[in-house]
Amino acid sequence: MNPCQDFHDDFELYALGVLDPEQKAEIDAHLRTGCATCEAALKDALAVNAILMSMAPDVVPPARVKRRVLAGVGVQRMSWSWLATLAAASMLVVALWLSVQERSRAAELAQARHTLLQVSSQRDRLLQALSFLDDPSTVPVSFGKGQPLPPRGNVFVHSKLGVLLIASNLPPAQAGKTYEMWVIPKGGSPRPAGLFQSEGGGTAMHILSGPLDVGTLGAVAVTLEPEAGSPAPTSTPIIVAALAGL
Amino acid sequence: MRPFMLWKLLPVGLSYALLQVALRFKDDGGLAKRLKDRDPRAMSDLYDRYGRLAYSLIYRVVRNTGAAEDLVQETFLRVWNRVQSFDETRGALGPWVLTVARNRAIDYLRSVDGKMSAGALELDRLETPGMFSSFDDGALTLDRARILKKAFEKLTPTQRQVIELAYYEGLSQTEMAERMNQPLGTVKTWVRSALKALRDDLAGEALA
Repeated sequence: MNPCQDFHDDFELYALGVLDPEQKAEIDAHLRTGCATCEAALKDALAVNAILMSMAPDVVPPARVKRRVLAGVGVQRMSWSWLATLAAASMLVVALWLSVQERSRAAELAQARHTLLQVSSQRDRLLQALSFLDDPSTVPVSFGKGQPLPPRGNVFVHSKLGVLLIASNLPPAQAGKTYEMWVIPKGGSPRPAGLFQSEGGGTAMHILSGPLDVGTLGAVAVTLEPEAGSPAPTSTPIIVAALAGL
Repeated sequence: MRPFMLWKLLPVGLSYALLQVALRFKDDGGLAKRLKDRDPRAMSDLYDRYGRLAYSLIYRVVRNTGAAEDLVQETFLRVWNRVQSFDETRGALGPWVLTVARNRAIDYLRSVDGKMSAGALELDRLETPGMFSSFDDGALTLDRARILKKAFEKLTPTQRQVIELAYYEGLSQTEMAERMNQPLGTVKTWVRSALKALRDDLAGEALA
Protein backbone atom coordinates (compact mmCIF):
# COMPACT_ATOMS: atom_id res chain seq x y z
CA MET A 1 0.00 0.00 0.00
CA ASN A 2 1.17 3.46 -0.80
CA PRO A 3 2.58 4.86 2.50
CA CYS A 4 1.00 8.23 1.71
CA GLN A 5 -2.49 6.76 1.24
CA ASP A 6 -3.69 7.78 4.66
CA PHE A 7 -2.87 11.35 3.79
CA HIS A 8 -4.53 11.11 0.42
CA ASP A 9 -7.78 10.09 2.05
CA ASP A 10 -7.83 13.36 3.92
CA PHE A 11 -6.65 15.76 1.23
CA GLU A 12 -10.13 16.98 0.33
CA LEU A 13 -10.83 17.88 3.95
CA TYR A 14 -7.34 19.32 4.30
CA ALA A 15 -7.89 21.59 1.28
CA LEU A 16 -11.24 22.65 2.72
CA GLY A 17 -9.57 23.64 6.00
CA VAL A 18 -11.81 21.38 8.08
CA LEU A 19 -9.30 18.84 9.34
CA ASP A 20 -8.76 18.65 13.04
CA PRO A 21 -5.49 20.39 14.05
CA GLU A 22 -3.47 17.23 14.70
CA GLN A 23 -4.25 15.69 11.30
CA LYS A 24 -3.58 18.98 9.55
CA ALA A 25 -0.20 19.32 11.27
CA GLU A 26 0.79 15.85 10.11
CA ILE A 27 -0.09 16.61 6.49
CA ASP A 28 1.65 19.97 6.60
CA ALA A 29 4.79 18.31 7.84
CA HIS A 30 4.64 15.65 5.16
CA LEU A 31 4.03 18.12 2.34
CA ARG A 32 7.06 20.11 3.44
CA THR A 33 9.18 17.08 2.53
CA GLY A 34 8.28 17.71 -1.12
CA CYS A 35 6.49 14.38 -1.69
CA ALA A 36 5.58 14.54 -5.38
CA THR A 37 2.93 11.82 -5.06
CA CYS A 38 1.13 13.74 -2.36
CA GLU A 39 1.48 17.00 -4.29
CA ALA A 40 -0.31 15.37 -7.22
CA ALA A 41 -2.94 13.84 -4.95
CA LEU A 42 -3.53 17.22 -3.36
CA LYS A 43 -4.14 18.71 -6.82
CA ASP A 44 -6.66 15.96 -7.47
CA ALA A 45 -8.38 16.74 -4.20
CA LEU A 46 -8.51 20.44 -5.10
CA ALA A 47 -10.09 19.55 -8.43
CA VAL A 48 -12.67 17.30 -6.76
CA ASN A 49 -13.45 20.04 -4.26
CA ALA A 50 -13.90 22.60 -7.03
CA ILE A 51 -16.28 20.36 -8.92
CA LEU A 52 -18.31 19.59 -5.79
CA MET A 53 -18.46 23.31 -4.97
CA SER A 54 -19.71 24.03 -8.47
CA MET A 55 -22.68 21.76 -7.81
CA ALA A 56 -24.34 24.25 -5.46
CA PRO A 57 -27.91 25.01 -6.60
CA ASP A 58 -27.91 27.61 -9.32
CA VAL A 59 -28.87 31.10 -8.16
CA VAL A 60 -28.74 34.02 -10.57
CA PRO A 61 -27.04 37.01 -8.99
CA PRO A 62 -28.68 40.42 -9.42
CA ALA A 63 -27.07 42.58 -12.12
CA ARG A 64 -25.90 45.04 -9.50
CA VAL A 65 -23.45 42.45 -8.14
CA LYS A 66 -21.32 42.72 -11.25
CA ARG A 67 -21.38 46.49 -11.06
CA ARG A 68 -20.31 46.27 -7.44
CA VAL A 69 -17.51 43.86 -8.29
CA LEU A 70 -16.20 46.11 -11.05
CA ALA A 71 -16.54 49.21 -8.92
CA GLY A 72 -14.76 47.36 -6.09
CA VAL A 73 -11.63 46.97 -8.18
CA GLY A 74 -11.83 50.44 -9.66
CA VAL A 75 -13.22 49.36 -13.00
CA GLN A 76 -16.33 51.46 -13.20
CA ARG A 77 -16.78 51.44 -16.91
CA MET A 78 -20.31 50.57 -17.82
CA SER A 79 -20.87 47.23 -19.41
CA TRP A 80 -22.20 47.03 -22.93
CA SER A 81 -25.49 45.69 -21.66
CA TRP A 82 -25.77 48.61 -19.29
CA LEU A 83 -24.92 50.99 -22.08
CA ALA A 84 -27.43 49.26 -24.30
CA THR A 85 -30.07 49.61 -21.58
CA LEU A 86 -29.21 53.27 -21.20
CA ALA A 87 -29.26 53.77 -24.95
CA ALA A 88 -32.61 52.01 -25.22
CA ALA A 89 -34.02 54.11 -22.40
CA SER A 90 -32.68 57.28 -24.02
CA MET A 91 -34.16 56.30 -27.34
CA LEU A 92 -37.48 55.61 -25.65
CA VAL A 93 -37.41 59.04 -24.01
CA VAL A 94 -36.53 60.68 -27.33
CA ALA A 95 -39.25 58.70 -29.11
CA LEU A 96 -41.78 59.71 -26.47
CA TRP A 97 -40.67 63.33 -26.68
CA LEU A 98 -40.90 63.26 -30.47
CA SER A 99 -44.30 61.61 -30.22
CA VAL A 100 -45.51 64.29 -27.82
CA GLN A 101 -44.00 66.97 -30.03
CA GLU A 102 -45.59 65.40 -33.07
CA ARG A 103 -48.96 65.19 -31.36
CA SER A 104 -48.60 68.75 -30.15
CA ARG A 105 -47.55 69.90 -33.60
CA ALA A 106 -50.42 68.00 -35.19
CA ALA A 107 -52.85 69.57 -32.72
CA GLU A 108 -51.42 73.00 -33.45
CA LEU A 109 -51.68 72.37 -37.16
CA ALA A 110 -55.27 71.21 -36.80
CA GLN A 111 -56.09 74.27 -34.76
CA ALA A 112 -54.37 76.53 -37.29
CA ARG A 113 -56.19 74.79 -40.12
CA HIS A 114 -59.45 75.22 -38.26
CA THR A 115 -58.76 78.91 -37.62
CA LEU A 116 -57.73 79.38 -41.23
CA LEU A 117 -60.93 77.73 -42.40
CA GLN A 118 -62.93 79.91 -40.07
CA VAL A 119 -61.15 83.06 -41.24
CA SER A 120 -61.42 81.94 -44.82
CA SER A 121 -65.08 81.18 -44.37
CA GLN A 122 -65.71 84.53 -42.71
CA ARG A 123 -63.77 86.26 -45.45
CA ASP A 124 -65.85 84.46 -48.08
CA ARG A 125 -69.04 85.40 -46.29
CA LEU A 126 -67.89 89.00 -46.02
CA LEU A 127 -66.98 89.07 -49.71
CA GLN A 128 -70.30 87.50 -50.45
CA ALA A 129 -72.01 90.13 -48.28
CA LEU A 130 -70.04 92.89 -50.01
CA SER A 131 -71.15 91.60 -53.35
CA PHE A 132 -74.76 92.13 -52.17
CA LEU A 133 -73.97 95.64 -50.99
CA ASP A 134 -71.98 96.60 -54.07
CA ASP A 135 -74.60 95.48 -56.50
CA PRO A 136 -77.03 98.27 -57.39
CA SER A 137 -79.78 95.77 -58.09
CA THR A 138 -79.81 94.60 -54.48
CA VAL A 139 -83.00 95.49 -52.66
CA PRO A 140 -82.45 96.63 -49.04
CA VAL A 141 -85.20 96.25 -46.45
CA SER A 142 -84.74 97.40 -42.86
CA PHE A 143 -86.45 95.87 -39.86
CA GLY A 144 -86.90 96.73 -36.19
CA LYS A 145 -87.16 100.42 -36.63
CA GLY A 146 -89.64 101.89 -34.21
CA GLN A 147 -90.21 98.60 -32.47
CA PRO A 148 -89.84 98.57 -28.67
CA LEU A 149 -87.62 95.47 -28.63
CA PRO A 150 -84.57 94.79 -30.69
CA PRO A 151 -83.24 93.33 -32.90
CA ARG A 152 -82.75 95.73 -35.67
CA GLY A 153 -81.03 95.48 -39.01
CA ASN A 154 -81.38 95.01 -42.74
CA VAL A 155 -82.22 92.35 -45.24
CA PHE A 156 -80.68 92.60 -48.70
CA VAL A 157 -82.40 90.75 -51.48
CA HIS A 158 -80.88 90.05 -54.88
CA SER A 159 -82.43 88.04 -57.66
CA LYS A 160 -79.26 86.13 -58.41
CA LEU A 161 -77.28 86.28 -55.17
CA GLY A 162 -80.10 85.44 -52.77
CA VAL A 163 -80.82 87.00 -49.34
CA LEU A 164 -78.40 88.68 -46.92
CA LEU A 165 -79.49 89.26 -43.34
CA ILE A 166 -77.53 91.62 -41.06
CA ALA A 167 -78.87 92.09 -37.56
CA SER A 168 -77.77 93.68 -34.32
CA ASN A 169 -78.98 93.31 -30.76
CA LEU A 170 -79.90 89.73 -31.45
CA PRO A 171 -79.35 87.90 -28.18
CA PRO A 172 -77.66 84.49 -28.26
CA ALA A 173 -80.08 81.66 -28.75
CA GLN A 174 -80.89 79.63 -25.65
CA ALA A 175 -79.26 76.29 -25.17
CA GLY A 176 -80.67 73.75 -27.62
CA LYS A 177 -82.10 76.48 -29.80
CA THR A 178 -81.02 78.20 -32.97
CA TYR A 179 -82.21 80.97 -35.23
CA GLU A 180 -83.82 79.98 -38.49
CA MET A 181 -84.42 82.32 -41.39
CA TRP A 182 -87.52 81.99 -43.61
CA VAL A 183 -88.38 83.34 -47.02
CA ILE A 184 -92.10 83.86 -47.33
CA PRO A 185 -93.59 84.19 -50.79
CA LYS A 186 -96.54 86.48 -51.25
CA GLY A 187 -99.56 84.46 -50.26
CA GLY A 188 -97.42 81.37 -49.59
CA SER A 189 -96.02 79.38 -46.73
CA PRO A 190 -92.60 80.13 -45.17
CA ARG A 191 -89.70 78.21 -46.72
CA PRO A 192 -86.62 77.31 -44.63
CA ALA A 193 -83.69 79.60 -45.49
CA GLY A 194 -80.95 78.31 -43.17
CA LEU A 195 -79.88 78.19 -39.54
CA PHE A 196 -77.55 80.66 -37.81
CA GLN A 197 -76.38 81.91 -34.46
CA SER A 198 -75.69 85.43 -33.27
CA GLU A 199 -72.12 86.44 -32.44
CA GLY A 200 -70.88 87.45 -29.03
CA GLY A 201 -71.83 91.13 -29.43
CA GLY A 202 -75.37 90.30 -30.50
CA THR A 203 -74.64 90.78 -34.18
CA ALA A 204 -75.54 88.24 -36.80
CA MET A 205 -75.08 87.83 -40.50
CA HIS A 206 -76.72 85.12 -42.53
CA ILE A 207 -76.83 84.50 -46.25
CA LEU A 208 -79.20 82.41 -48.32
CA SER A 209 -77.31 81.87 -51.56
CA GLY A 210 -78.94 81.30 -54.89
CA PRO A 211 -81.37 82.85 -57.35
CA LEU A 212 -84.58 84.15 -55.98
CA ASP A 213 -87.78 85.48 -57.49
CA VAL A 214 -87.77 88.83 -55.83
CA GLY A 215 -91.07 89.71 -57.43
CA THR A 216 -92.99 86.97 -55.62
CA LEU A 217 -91.16 87.36 -52.29
CA GLY A 218 -93.39 88.76 -49.57
CA ALA A 219 -91.13 88.79 -46.52
CA VAL A 220 -88.02 87.45 -44.81
CA ALA A 221 -88.50 86.32 -41.22
CA VAL A 222 -86.46 84.80 -38.36
CA THR A 223 -87.77 82.54 -35.64
CA LEU A 224 -86.19 80.73 -32.74
CA GLU A 225 -86.27 76.99 -33.46
CA PRO A 226 -84.96 73.74 -32.03
CA GLU A 227 -81.24 73.18 -32.64
CA ALA A 228 -81.83 70.90 -35.63
CA GLY A 229 -84.10 73.42 -37.27
CA SER A 230 -87.74 73.06 -38.35
CA PRO A 231 -89.44 72.60 -41.70
CA ALA A 232 -91.97 75.27 -40.69
CA PRO A 233 -91.84 78.02 -38.05
CA THR A 234 -92.83 76.87 -34.57
CA SER A 235 -92.57 80.20 -32.78
CA THR A 236 -93.45 83.81 -33.21
CA PRO A 237 -91.03 85.57 -35.57
CA ILE A 238 -88.36 87.69 -33.91
CA ILE A 239 -87.51 89.45 -37.16
CA VAL A 240 -89.89 90.26 -39.98
CA ALA A 241 -88.70 92.19 -42.99
CA ALA A 242 -91.65 92.77 -45.29
CA LEU A 243 -90.91 93.16 -48.98
CA ALA A 244 -94.50 93.51 -50.10
CA GLY A 245 -95.19 96.86 -51.64
CA LEU A 246 -91.55 97.54 -52.50
CA MET B 1 -13.75 33.43 -31.58
CA ARG B 2 -12.83 32.62 -28.01
CA PRO B 3 -14.72 29.77 -26.27
CA PHE B 4 -15.95 32.33 -23.79
CA MET B 5 -17.62 34.25 -26.57
CA LEU B 6 -19.24 31.07 -27.82
CA TRP B 7 -21.03 30.29 -24.59
CA LYS B 8 -22.13 33.89 -24.37
CA LEU B 9 -24.04 33.34 -27.59
CA LEU B 10 -25.90 30.32 -26.23
CA PRO B 11 -29.34 30.57 -24.59
CA VAL B 12 -28.99 31.42 -20.91
CA GLY B 13 -30.13 28.05 -19.58
CA LEU B 14 -27.95 26.05 -21.91
CA SER B 15 -24.90 28.24 -21.51
CA TYR B 16 -25.19 27.97 -17.76
CA ALA B 17 -25.62 24.21 -17.92
CA LEU B 18 -22.23 24.11 -19.61
CA LEU B 19 -20.70 26.79 -17.46
CA GLN B 20 -21.86 25.21 -14.24
CA VAL B 21 -19.38 22.40 -14.64
CA ALA B 22 -16.79 24.15 -16.78
CA LEU B 23 -14.16 25.21 -14.30
CA ARG B 24 -11.40 25.69 -16.76
CA PHE B 25 -11.37 27.42 -20.10
CA LYS B 26 -8.68 27.15 -22.69
CA ASP B 27 -7.95 30.84 -22.49
CA ASP B 28 -7.94 31.09 -18.69
CA GLY B 29 -4.22 31.76 -18.98
CA GLY B 30 -4.87 34.67 -21.31
CA LEU B 31 -7.52 36.00 -18.98
CA ALA B 32 -5.17 35.71 -16.01
CA LYS B 33 -2.53 37.57 -17.98
CA ARG B 34 -5.00 40.35 -18.75
CA LEU B 35 -5.95 40.50 -15.06
CA LYS B 36 -2.30 40.87 -14.18
CA ASP B 37 -1.97 43.60 -16.79
CA ARG B 38 -4.99 45.34 -15.25
CA ASP B 39 -6.92 45.23 -18.50
CA PRO B 40 -10.22 46.96 -17.60
CA ARG B 41 -12.29 44.34 -19.43
CA ALA B 42 -10.54 41.39 -17.80
CA MET B 43 -12.44 41.64 -14.52
CA SER B 44 -15.71 41.87 -16.39
CA ASP B 45 -14.80 38.71 -18.33
CA LEU B 46 -13.75 36.91 -15.15
CA TYR B 47 -17.06 37.77 -13.52
CA ASP B 48 -18.99 36.66 -16.61
CA ARG B 49 -17.18 33.35 -16.47
CA TYR B 50 -17.30 32.55 -12.77
CA GLY B 51 -19.52 35.15 -11.09
CA ARG B 52 -22.68 33.09 -11.19
CA LEU B 53 -20.93 29.99 -9.86
CA ALA B 54 -19.36 32.01 -7.07
CA TYR B 55 -22.65 33.65 -6.15
CA SER B 56 -24.52 30.33 -6.16
CA LEU B 57 -21.90 28.71 -3.94
CA ILE B 58 -21.77 31.62 -1.52
CA TYR B 59 -25.53 31.85 -1.34
CA ARG B 60 -25.71 28.10 -0.63
CA VAL B 61 -23.42 28.66 2.33
CA VAL B 62 -24.73 31.89 3.84
CA ARG B 63 -28.40 31.75 2.71
CA ASN B 64 -28.59 35.50 2.71
CA THR B 65 -28.80 37.66 -0.40
CA GLY B 66 -27.19 40.79 1.04
CA ALA B 67 -24.31 38.86 2.60
CA ALA B 68 -23.85 36.85 -0.60
CA GLU B 69 -23.52 40.04 -2.64
CA ASP B 70 -20.94 41.44 -0.22
CA LEU B 71 -18.99 38.20 -0.24
CA VAL B 72 -18.96 37.94 -4.04
CA GLN B 73 -17.51 41.42 -4.17
CA GLU B 74 -14.93 40.44 -1.56
CA THR B 75 -14.10 37.27 -3.49
CA PHE B 76 -13.34 39.05 -6.73
CA LEU B 77 -11.47 41.82 -4.96
CA ARG B 78 -9.28 39.20 -3.32
CA VAL B 79 -8.63 37.50 -6.67
CA TRP B 80 -7.81 40.87 -8.24
CA ASN B 81 -5.37 41.70 -5.45
CA ARG B 82 -3.62 38.35 -5.53
CA VAL B 83 -3.60 37.51 -9.20
CA GLN B 84 -0.03 38.66 -9.61
CA SER B 85 1.03 35.42 -7.90
CA PHE B 86 -1.15 33.29 -10.15
CA ASP B 87 0.65 31.12 -12.69
CA GLU B 88 -1.13 32.00 -15.92
CA THR B 89 0.71 29.29 -17.85
CA ARG B 90 -0.38 26.39 -15.63
CA GLY B 91 -3.06 27.71 -13.34
CA ALA B 92 -6.82 27.06 -13.27
CA LEU B 93 -8.88 30.14 -12.48
CA GLY B 94 -12.17 28.37 -11.79
CA PRO B 95 -11.05 26.26 -8.83
CA TRP B 96 -9.21 29.24 -7.39
CA VAL B 97 -12.18 31.60 -7.64
CA LEU B 98 -14.54 28.98 -6.21
CA THR B 99 -12.20 28.18 -3.35
CA VAL B 100 -11.85 31.86 -2.48
CA ALA B 101 -15.64 32.25 -2.70
CA ARG B 102 -16.29 29.25 -0.49
CA ASN B 103 -13.69 30.32 2.05
CA ARG B 104 -15.10 33.86 2.23
CA ALA B 105 -18.53 32.39 2.88
CA ILE B 106 -17.29 29.92 5.52
CA ASP B 107 -15.32 32.71 7.14
CA TYR B 108 -18.52 34.76 7.28
CA LEU B 109 -20.45 31.87 8.85
CA ARG B 110 -17.78 31.40 11.47
CA SER B 111 -17.71 35.11 12.28
CA VAL B 112 -21.48 35.13 12.67
CA ASP B 113 -21.19 32.15 15.03
CA GLY B 114 -18.47 33.91 17.00
CA LYS B 115 -15.92 31.33 15.91
CA MET B 116 -13.47 33.73 14.27
CA SER B 117 -10.13 32.23 15.10
CA ALA B 118 -7.02 30.77 13.62
CA GLY B 119 -9.36 29.15 11.10
CA ALA B 120 -9.46 32.38 9.12
CA LEU B 121 -5.71 32.31 8.68
CA GLU B 122 -5.87 28.66 7.72
CA LEU B 123 -8.43 29.35 5.00
CA ASP B 124 -6.30 32.21 3.79
CA ARG B 125 -3.32 29.90 3.44
CA LEU B 126 -5.37 27.33 1.53
CA GLU B 127 -6.39 29.72 -1.20
CA THR B 128 -3.00 31.06 -2.24
CA PRO B 129 -2.81 31.27 -6.05
CA GLY B 130 0.18 28.92 -6.14
CA MET B 131 -1.99 26.02 -5.03
CA PHE B 132 -4.14 26.23 -8.16
CA SER B 133 -1.65 25.36 -10.84
CA SER B 134 -0.34 22.19 -12.46
CA PHE B 135 -3.66 20.34 -12.51
CA ASP B 136 -3.82 17.27 -14.69
CA ASP B 137 -5.35 18.02 -18.07
CA GLY B 138 -8.25 15.73 -17.30
CA ALA B 139 -8.87 16.91 -13.75
CA LEU B 140 -11.50 19.49 -14.55
CA THR B 141 -13.24 18.12 -17.61
CA LEU B 142 -16.98 18.18 -18.09
CA ASP B 143 -17.02 14.36 -18.11
CA ARG B 144 -15.35 14.24 -14.74
CA ALA B 145 -17.85 16.71 -13.34
CA ARG B 146 -20.71 14.63 -14.70
CA ILE B 147 -19.30 11.46 -13.15
CA LEU B 148 -18.81 13.16 -9.81
CA LYS B 149 -22.33 14.50 -9.85
CA LYS B 150 -23.71 11.02 -10.46
CA ALA B 151 -21.48 9.56 -7.79
CA PHE B 152 -22.65 12.18 -5.30
CA GLU B 153 -26.26 11.30 -6.01
CA LYS B 154 -25.48 7.65 -5.21
CA LEU B 155 -24.23 8.45 -1.70
CA THR B 156 -26.34 7.55 1.31
CA PRO B 157 -28.19 10.41 3.02
CA THR B 158 -25.73 10.49 5.93
CA GLN B 159 -22.76 10.44 3.55
CA ARG B 160 -24.27 13.33 1.62
CA GLN B 161 -24.97 15.18 4.84
CA VAL B 162 -21.39 15.00 6.10
CA ILE B 163 -20.06 16.07 2.71
CA GLU B 164 -22.38 19.07 2.72
CA LEU B 165 -21.43 19.94 6.28
CA ALA B 166 -17.77 19.97 5.27
CA TYR B 167 -18.12 21.81 1.97
CA TYR B 168 -20.97 24.22 2.69
CA GLU B 169 -20.70 24.76 6.43
CA GLY B 170 -16.99 24.30 6.98
CA LEU B 171 -17.41 21.91 9.88
CA SER B 172 -14.59 19.68 11.03
CA GLN B 173 -15.37 16.05 11.74
CA THR B 174 -15.40 16.77 15.47
CA GLU B 175 -17.92 19.59 14.88
CA MET B 176 -20.00 17.30 12.68
CA ALA B 177 -20.09 14.68 15.42
CA GLU B 178 -21.33 17.28 17.86
CA ARG B 179 -23.88 18.63 15.42
CA MET B 180 -25.17 15.18 14.48
CA ASN B 181 -24.86 13.84 18.01
CA GLN B 182 -22.86 10.89 16.74
CA PRO B 183 -19.55 9.34 17.83
CA LEU B 184 -16.54 10.95 16.13
CA GLY B 185 -15.44 7.58 14.80
CA THR B 186 -18.79 7.04 13.11
CA VAL B 187 -18.66 10.43 11.47
CA LYS B 188 -15.10 9.84 10.29
CA THR B 189 -16.24 6.57 8.74
CA TRP B 190 -19.08 8.31 6.91
CA VAL B 191 -16.78 11.03 5.63
CA ARG B 192 -14.06 8.68 4.47
CA SER B 193 -16.49 6.27 2.86
CA ALA B 194 -18.23 9.12 1.06
CA LEU B 195 -15.02 10.57 -0.32
CA LYS B 196 -13.74 7.13 -1.25
CA ALA B 197 -16.96 6.39 -3.14
CA LEU B 198 -16.55 9.60 -5.10
CA ARG B 199 -12.91 8.88 -5.90
CA ASP B 200 -13.66 5.28 -6.84
CA ASP B 201 -16.35 6.31 -9.29
CA LEU B 202 -13.98 8.83 -10.84
CA ALA B 203 -11.21 6.22 -11.09
CA GLY B 204 -13.59 3.58 -12.40
CA GLU B 205 -14.89 5.80 -15.16
CA ALA B 206 -11.34 6.80 -16.02
CA LEU B 207 -10.38 3.16 -16.49
CA ALA B 208 -13.55 2.28 -18.39
